[in-house]
Amino acid sequence: MMKAMDRVVDAVDIETFLYCTSEDEAKELAEQLALELGLPHGDIVFLEFKAWGARVRIRSYIHHPGDHYRWMEKEHEA
Amino acid sequence: MKTVLLAPLDPVHDNAVKLLKRKLSEAGYDAHAMPPGTTPEEVIQRALTLKPAAILVSRTLGYKVAEILSQLVDLADAAGLRDATRIGVGGMAITREIGAELGFDGCFVGELKMNAVIDFIEGRSASQTARAFDEITREKPDITAGYTYRFFDPKIESYLNQITDQILSAAAGKTTDGIERAKIRSEMLEMDVATRDHRGSPETRGKLLARYITLCDSEIQAFYKDGRLPAGVRWLDRAEIDRVGELFPSGHEPFTPLRHNRPKPYFFSQYGTGCPIMDVYHIKVAEAWGIDGVFHFDPSWNAQREGLLEGYLTHEHDGTILTLENLSFIRSFLEPYTLWNVRGHRGLNTPETQVLGHAAGADLFKINIPYGSTAGGTDPQRLLVDGVYSLKLAAQYKIPFDIPGNDELSGVPPYKTFAGLLIMMSLGLRLGARPIPKPLLCYSPYMTIHGRMDDNMIDMNLAKLAVWRDIVDTPIWPGEPVGFMTHTPDRVQSALQTSLHASLAAAAGVDAVTIASSDEAYSKGPISVQARVDTLRAVRDQLRFQGSLQASLSPAAESIKAEIHEKITATLAAVAARGDFAASIYEGLLGSQDDGLYPGRVGAGTVRGE
Repeated sequence: MMKAMDRVVDAVDIETFLYCTSEDEAKELAEQLALELGLPHGDIVFLEFKAWGARVRIRSYIHHPGDHYRWMEKEHEA
Repeated sequence: MKTVLLAPLDPVHDNAVKLLKRKLSEAGYDAHAMPPGTTPEEVIQRALTLKPAAILVSRTLGYKVAEILSQLVDLADAAGLRDATRIGVGGMAITREIGAELGFDGCFVGELKMNAVIDFIEGRSASQTARAFDEITREKPDITAGYTYRFFDPKIESYLNQITDQILSAAAGKTTDGIERAKIRSEMLEMDVATRDHRGSPETRGKLLARYITLCDSEIQAFYKDGRLPAGVRWLDRAEIDRVGELFPSGHEPFTPLRHNRPKPYFFSQYGTGCPIMDVYHIKVAEAWGIDGVFHFDPSWNAQREGLLEGYLTHEHDGTILTLENLSFIRSFLEPYTLWNVRGHRGLNTPETQVLGHAAGADLFKINIPYGSTAGGTDPQRLLVDGVYSLKLAAQYKIPFDIPGNDELSGVPPYKTFAGLLIMMSLGLRLGARPIPKPLLCYSPYMTIHGRMDDNMIDMNLAKLAVWRDIVDTPIWPGEPVGFMTHTPDRVQSALQTSLHASLAAAAGVDAVTIASSDEAYSKGPISVQARVDTLRAVRDQLRFQGSLQASLSPAAESIKAEIHEKITATLAAVAARGDFAASIYEGLLGSQDDGLYPGRVGAGTVRGE
């Protein structure tokens, strides 16, 4: 059965706001979040901590350029 | 004339109904609008009198949506209206699911698209209108059309003529391996043996390829002789290539340009994910969101090795490998109106890039000798000879070339960069080509160090655009991309900066603008497709916000413009007096080591007599 994740053209970005007390803690939480969500090789694209928490964007590449892209597979092949 | 009944099934909101009434009336329909608060019974009663071809109802508020709309459908069924009348629904509270569940004939969600509404009224399929719209409204533009290239400043023109004479004299009777390879590629194209699946004579290809290989670096030779691919590179297989065509069927809805109410500027973005298939996807998304043109970016190693590869090749690094097959594959998927630029402004394969770009259908080239000769680029003497040959090719092919001013990013002040752009313009014009200078709108090191943008980013950028209008009648294309060094990895900030710079350029009356994705400042991975959409959306809205407003220069901007103009003249005077263009670059007249610019070394000592 086709998985929605297979249709991600290249990257999944997760944007959220984390309750935390420092930028270091925000980074740790962002990395942990990527793992909890099952995102492979999650990377912090952007993180901005101010006073009460952090705005963060985490990225995980599902398909890198040069890969064999699962979104190109026909339904019966997926 | 068909009759259409418009009714807001909403106590307050009727903007969409009023807008539709105006647009449908302008399109020749007899449109009748009912007031807010109209009930389903009143709609049906009016419809029985008017006998419209279509009823279009709207609903903004979310409560009782299903109840009210289903009542309308039931009443229409009971009145026997639906044999001759189509019923459509739209508005903020409407989803496609609600429309379908309740039995409406059509459902309009999101931005109002008049062609879709008219299709619905006329009972046509959307694709019929899409094709007609495309054919009528989007044509491939010529950015240089209407410009005379007449110089308004005789002093500058005189210096440029002197410098152009010096360059042509320096290049006369010289050749390089790059030029010789370009000649062989041209011959291979003429003999129909330029690709691996060629239809020409194997003997001819063998002979030409053997000559070509002798002019290549060892890694490229290994590719041709032993089939050895550079590290990280793989062949695309036939099934992958064939499958791409199925992903982008024709007959899609029309793609509307980013422009709101101006004929210009045209908007460009670069691609070069490393994979031709991923490139095609990114280009098609950019087209769908309104781009007018795209650039092919090749890997940096393409510029540093003698010789190019061939075949359908992909890899997991920045820049898509420049081969005739890759270029032709990508080109085949562009919309008919999309402009396509193949850059070759630096590197050891500059002449050959023009040959392959032309063969694959390029609309624009990118050539800049001073910029390509600096900052880790090609040796100035080598690129001077290759650049002159490339400009001759651009003239022969009748393909305009743009001249990026990105040496500003190294710290070069704008007047030195602009002097370089003017030299390239003059040289191109002398050789019969059509140049397009690209002053960079950026927050460059020069601006930062000298505090030239401490108060605002408008005066300097406007002055950098306006000064061109005082010097020469030329198209102007700020890039590359606009807002360089203002972007951060924050996608909101990045898209905002791009849109501000793009709209400022539009208000200054430029001809084209190159924009970045919101991943511009993210360096740990490839540009994502959603990052491309971010900036296209931001620019579209900024242009809508701004409309046809024209930018005018403040006293501060006028003063900066005068300063740049004066210093361009002084820079050109110094280069003309030096009497040797390559030496001028080596010695920093167009950007010194103090500025942050170093002459390129790649290909040093490779120029020889013909």
